[in-house]
Parts: sequence; C-alpha cells; structure tokens
Amino acid sequence: MVFVGRLGRGALFAALAIYLLLPLSAVLLSSFATTWTANPLPDGYTLASWGEALANPRLQAAVARTFGLAAAVLVLDILLVVPAVYWQRVRNPRIRVVTELCAAIPFVLPFIVIAFGILKLTGFAIPSLLGTPPLLLLGHAAIAFPFLYWSVDGAMAAANVVKLNEAAQMCGATPLQTLRHIIVPNIGPGLATGGMLVFATSFGEFALVQVLVGARFENVSLYSLDLLTRTSADFGTLAVLTVLTFIVLFVISTGVVWSNRGKRGTAVAGARAMTAEKDA
Amino acid sequence: MPDAGSRTASIGLEGGRAVTARPTAGAPRSVRATAARIAGDWLPAVPLLILAVLLLVLPTAVVVLQSFRGETGGITLANWAETLSRKSDRRAIATSLELGALVGTISLLIGAPLAWAISRALPAARTAWLSLLNVGANFGGIGLAFAYTAVLGTYGMVTLALQRLGLPFTPPPSTSFTGLAMAYFYTNIPLFILLTLPAMHTVRDDWMEAAEVCSATRFQFWRHVGIPILTPFLLAGWVLIFTWTVGIYGLAYALAGSAPAAPVRLMTLQIGIALNQSANGQQRAAVMAAILLIIATVSLVTYRIILRRATRWFS
Repeated sequence: MVFVGRLGRGALFAALAIYLLLPLSAVLLSSFATTWTANPLPDGYTLASWGEALANPRLQAAVARTFGLAAAVLVLDILLVVPAVYWQRVRNPRIRVVTELCAAIPFVLPFIVIAFGILKLTGFAIPSLLGTPPLLLLGHAAIAFPFLYWSVDGAMAAANVVKLNEAAQMCGATPLQTLRHIIVPNIGPGLATGGMLVFATSFGEFALVQVLVGARFENVSLYSLDLLTRTSADFGTLAVLTVLTFIVLFVISTGVVWSNRGKRGTAVAGARAMTAEKDA
Repeated sequence: MPDAGSRTASIGLEGGRAVTARPTAGAPRSVRATAARIAGDWLPAVPLLILAVLLLVLPTAVVVLQSFRGETGGITLANWAETLSRKSDRRAIATSLELGALVGTISLLIGAPLAWAISRALPAARTAWLSLLNVGANFGGIGLAFAYTAVLGTYGMVTLALQRLGLPFTPPPSTSFTGLAMAYFYTNIPLFILLTLPAMHTVRDDWMEAAEVCSATRFQFWRHVGIPILTPFLLAGWVLIFTWTVGIYGLAYALAGSAPAAPVRLMTLQIGIALNQSANGQQRAAVMAAILLIIATVSLVTYRIILRRATRWFS
C-alpha cells in the first residue's frame, strides 16, 4: 500500500471529488439547461424544466406514491420488528435463530430473485393479490426489515433492555406497557437510524416495483425509467426527478450518519460485523 | 457476523432467567399449558416471522422448486440442462461473475488505500470525505443510468468536452461491458470504502510507532503487521461487493435492459427480461434465480467465515 503524503492526499481528494461530483453536476446542469448538444456546458440556462416538472401531475402522483409507500413500509416494519426484537431479548432467545436467518436473505440475495419468488408464490396462492399495492407494501416491508432489525437490536443491547424490563416487571408493568413506556423511549436513535434506512430502501427500490405491480403503480423509479428509455425521452423532467430523488436519499443518509455520530460503527447498514472492536 | 453470535449467547444466558423460572421440568403439564407457554414465548415475534416466511423464505423455496419443474409439471432437470447448454445463458452467467469480480477487485485496489487515508484524516476532512462518499453510495439505480448518459452519452458532458479538445473520443456505450463496469464503479468504490473504514481502526497507531521504534520500515510494517491484520476485512468487503454487483438489477436494466438485442447479458437481466417481456423462458429464469441463490449462499458463508477469522484476534 502506497503511503500518501499530504500533497498526495490533497490530489487524491480532489480526484475523488471530481469523479464523484461530475455525474451529479451533469444531471443538475441538465435540469437547468435550455439545449445541450454541442458544448461541454449547456447553451443556456432556464428554470423551465423545473417549472414544468413540478407542475406535471404524473410526476406529482409518482412522488406521492413513492413517499406514501415508503411511509407505510416504515410504519409496518416498526410495528413488526420492535416487539419481536424485544421478545427475543427479554424472553425467548431462540427467536433470534429464525430472525437472523431471515434478515440475511435480503442482505445477500438479489431483490430481483426475491421479486420473482414472490410473483410465483402469489400466482399459486392468491392470484388476486398480484399487481396490487398491498403486495408491494408487504414485499418492501420484507426486504427492508433487516435494516430496522439490526439497528433496533443494537439499540436494545446498548440500552440494556433486560435490566429495564426486570425493573418494569417488578413495578408490575405488563409487557405491552413496558414496551411502550420504557423500551421504545430508550431506543430512539436506533429506531431513527433503522427507520431512515427502511424508508430509503423502499424509496429507491426498483426490482419489486417493476415485477410485482409495474405501471399500475407508477412510482419514481418506474417513471424515471420510462422517461429515460421511451423514444421521445424527456431529459429535462428526468433530470429534475433524479435531482429530487438524490436529495431525498442524501438527506436520509446524512441523517443516518448524524444520528450515529460518536459511534464508531460501520456506515453501511447490515455490515456491522466489519467493526472488530464492537465488543471490545 | 460471528461476534453477534457470541453476544447472542451471553444475552441468552442473561435473558434465560425468565426461561428457568418456568414450571419445573418433569412435572405433568397439560397440553393447554404447553400451548400457552409456546404462545407466550413466541407470540410478539409471530407477525414478523409470518412476514419473513411468506415473503422471503417461501419465495426463495418456490424459485428453487420452479427451476426443477417441467413445462407440464413434474420434476425434471431439463431446465437446468437447457439453461446451462444455452450459449446466451452461459454467457450471462460468465459476464455477471466477471463483472462482479472486476468491480470487487477495482473497488478493493482503489478503495483500500483511500479508506486508510480517510481513517487517518482529521475530523473535518473526515466529514468532508464521508459526505462525498455518501454522494456516490446514494446515487444509484435509474438516476445513475441517466447520469451516465449525461456524462458519457453521445451528448454527454465529458464526451463533448473531450471532443472539443480535439480528441477522437467515443464513449463506451452504456450497453457494453465497459459501460456497465464504469457505472458500477461509481457506487461500489464508495460503498467499499464505507464498508472497510471501521476496520481500518483495527490497525492501531501505537503499533506503527512500536514498529518504528524497532527501526522497521513502513514497508516492513505493512508487510508483516498491517496487511495481515487488514486482509480478512478487505476480503470480506470484496465478497460483499462481488455479491451485490452480481445482484444489481435496476441500474443494469436502465443501462442495457431495454436495448432490443442487448449486447451484454447478465443473470439479473435475463430474469427481468423473461418476467417483463415474454411469457416463455420463465423456467430458465428460475434456473438463473436459483444460481443467484447459490452464489448468495456461498458468499454469505464465506463472508462469515472470513470475518470470524478476522475478529478472532480481537475477542
């Protein structure tokens, strides 16, 4: 490994910055461009694309669907994951064997394979559910749950829920009361981190949306694909939509980093074992 | 995640108090009491387990079964034989694996030194690096495919700039192997850095000082201490990037999937195209999906074994 000096470090940083920011700048510029076919920079600048795109009902609907779905997935995952993790920590550790195994599936298995499996299974079992948003909601909840699972699990370990639970039980609290008034208030950062990751997963997901519902539930990724690939491609609107999507995801991930500040954990959810000193 | 496992064990003991407080073993218990106990042990987790089984475990099983199902039902190996003997499908498998290995390796070679540099940077610089990496790691899917066009398309920014300078530059088409690889690097190199960044702190600064005091050169330090410690973490990162790259679908579909005679075939694209564009070919798509499942399983097991070795030093 080459050891880079201060100057080298600066050059490295500049190179990386250009490399990482160039595509984003190109998209941003093309959202403000009048025409851009001959020169390295746009021929002129206008706000027309933004005005048109933001007034476009199809874009509004796609954004609304994407936000609505992600929010629903988030709520569903919180309702399902928090009680399960609580119970496996305070009552029945054997639950963990199953949940860990299930959480590993979306971690390594491509979403297109999961989408294919859900499509086939639903086709055999409940064909009427095919192509409906509820199926997509369940699918997204399933592929996104590990992010919430891992961060809630970590937060419960950090908050020492076993002790909290004992104390609450001594005072005569029921498990539901304990969960609501003792556990949840103590795992705030974990819920926030995991919740943002769940939201982002649903927000940017493409395979399940395309395979399970398709054009019947046109969200941001499907609309973007259509804008990109149809013959009369509308790059102005697409640029606006891409910038908007990026902003949402970037804000979320900055939020994740911020809510994890001080902890020397991994910045990528799911790969927490990459930190060796976690148990030290 | 081996250390998670060991933590589980210790937590299991702590939490075991509730378990041992149950009625003494051997005492006669009615069926109803047993049922109530099982319900009490599992009930709060049941909704999550149902979701996971119905939408993750069973679909995975269905894919495998489907790959062994004949056109008219019955169990057959014909789908596997057909897929593995088809030139286009074989090429798809090979291309996916090559792409995964290439992206993993380049991410490792570029990412590892960068991760080291960032881990030793001052807090302010570190924040700047992390924000930049976050840009890369969050810019993916269809948006990145569009950005590729905007930068390296026929009228892309870089294409136009280079041609302006008089260079005879023709960008690699987004449907080519090179084009896909370049788009994949964009998210995967930052992802690799973010993945391995925490591990860089396992090499302590005092060790470098100790080596220096013993008049070891930088090279000797890396050769005998730094690289042996970091290797498992870097390999684990390689495995993850390889696996995720092989599984990328949205970006690949937007770049190459809609081309009528796509020059590049990937496993994920073959599945997607079979599902979207035609009713037939689904049996072969099931075989592809089953192969991806095998790759995912092997990767996960390898990842865990490597990390168990890596963290053995630190427990």
